[in-house]
Amino acid sequence: MSDRDIDAMLNRAAEKAPTVDPALLDRIAGSVGASIRPVRPLPAAWILATGLAAICAAIATLGAARAGLHGIEKLTAIERAVIFPTLGVLLWLAALVSAREMLPAQRRWGNPRVLLAVAIVALEAAFALLFHDYRATRFVARGTVCLAVGLLHAIPAAVAGWLWLRRGFAVEPVAAGLATGAIAGLAGVTMLELHCPNLEALHVLLWHVAVVPISAAAGALWARWRQASRTTAGS
Amino acid sequence: MHPAGDLEELMARYQGGDLAAATSLIHRLSPQLHRFFLARYASRHEADDLLQETWLRIHEARRTYRPGEPVLPWLYAIARHTAVDHFRRASRLAMREVSAEDLDRVAPPEDSTRTPDLETLLAPLPESQREVVAMLKVSGMSLEEVARATSSSVGSVKQKAHRAYEKLRAVLKGTGVERRRAGGLP
Repeated sequence: MSDRDIDAMLNRAAEKAPTVDPALLDRIAGSVGASIRPVRPLPAAWILATGLAAICAAIATLGAARAGLHGIEKLTAIERAVIFPTLGVLLWLAALVSAREMLPAQRRWGNPRVLLAVAIVALEAAFALLFHDYRATRFVARGTVCLAVGLLHAIPAAVAGWLWLRRGFAVEPVAAGLATGAIAGLAGVTMLELHCPNLEALHVLLWHVAVVPISAAAGALWARWRQASRTTAGS
Repeated sequence: MHPAGDLEELMARYQGGDLAAATSLIHRLSPQLHRFFLARYASRHEADDLLQETWLRIHEARRTYRPGEPVLPWLYAIARHTAVDHFRRASRLAMREVSAEDLDRVAPPEDSTRTPDLETLLAPLPESQREVVAMLKVSGMSLEEVARATSSSVGSVKQKAHRAYEKLRAVLKGTGVERRRAGGLP
C-alpha cells in the first residue's frame, strides 16, 4: 500500500464529517456576541520584544544607579566593550523569545530552553575570557549577597515583563514563564555587572551567572503553578 | 476548506467588533475543529465542550491574531492548548495509545466495502502523530502551518507524518484493507 493510497483513504475518511449540533453553534455565537467589542491587534513580536528589553535594561540601570555604579567604574574599557554588548544582545534575544511565546502560531524561532542554555554559556565564556583573578575571598558570604541582590532586581523585571506581555496568550505557559524568568535574570546580572566591584573570576562565574537559571526556573515553576491552579479551578 | 484570504478578512472584521464576521467564523470553522477534537479521542460530548471552550479562548485571545497571517495555525494552536488543558484536567493526557493488537478496531466491522472513519483510522497512532495527521487531513493545512500550530519545526511535522503513514501501512496490511483494495474494493 503506497502513501498515495493511505492519503486517499484518509481523505475519504475526513470527508465524512459528523455534523455539529446547530444549537451548540448558536450558543457559542451567543456567548461570543455578548462580549464582542473592537480590539486592537497586538504589535509585532519585535516591537513587544524591544519594549520588554528596554524595561528590563531600565530596571537594571536604575537599580545599579541607586546602589552605586562601582562595578562599571572598576571595569576596563575592553571588559565593558565585551560584557555590556553581550548582555544587550542576550536581553534582546530573550525578549524576542518571550514575546513570541505570547503570540500563538509564530514561526519556530528560538526555544526558551535553548535560549537559557545559550545565555548561560555566553556569559560564562565572556567572564572566563575576561577575569583571571582566581582568589575566592569570602566566597560564600559575598556570593550570596550578590545572588540575593541580582534576584531582588530580577523580581521587578519579571513583574514588569509579565505586565507588558499580559495581553498575549501563551499556548505553552511553562515555556513562556521560563523565557520571562530568563530575561528577568539577565536584568539581574546586568545590574550586578554595573554595581558589583568584585571581579574575582569564581565569584562572577558562579554567583552572578546563577541569577539567570534560578530566575528562569522560578518563572517556569510560577507558570506551572498558575496553570495547575487554573486547571483545578476549571474542573 | 475555505479560501485563506476570506478567513483572514473575517478574522480582521471579528477583531474590529463585527458580530456577523464572528458568527460566520464560528459556523464555518467549528465542524473541522469538532472533527479535530474527535480525532484526539474525545467523545462526542467532550468534543462539544472543547469546541465551546476553544471559542471562548479564541475570543479572549483574538487580539493576538496578527492581520495578514494565516488564521488556521493560530486557531489550531489555541484549540490544541485547550485540548491539552482539558485532558490534563481529566487526568487523561497520558492516555492510552492503542496498541497494534487493537487493530480489529480499524477493520470495518460490518460492511467491508466501507472506508473506516477518520477516528478509527487514526486510533492506532500515538497522540502526537494523530494530531499532525488530523491537522493535515481535517483542516487541509500545509506542513508549515501545522508546524506553526504545534510550535515545532517543519522537519518534525514531516517526520511525524511519515511515521504515522508507516504505522498505518502496517496496521492496514494486517486488517485486510489492502487485500480488499487489491481485489478492487474501495
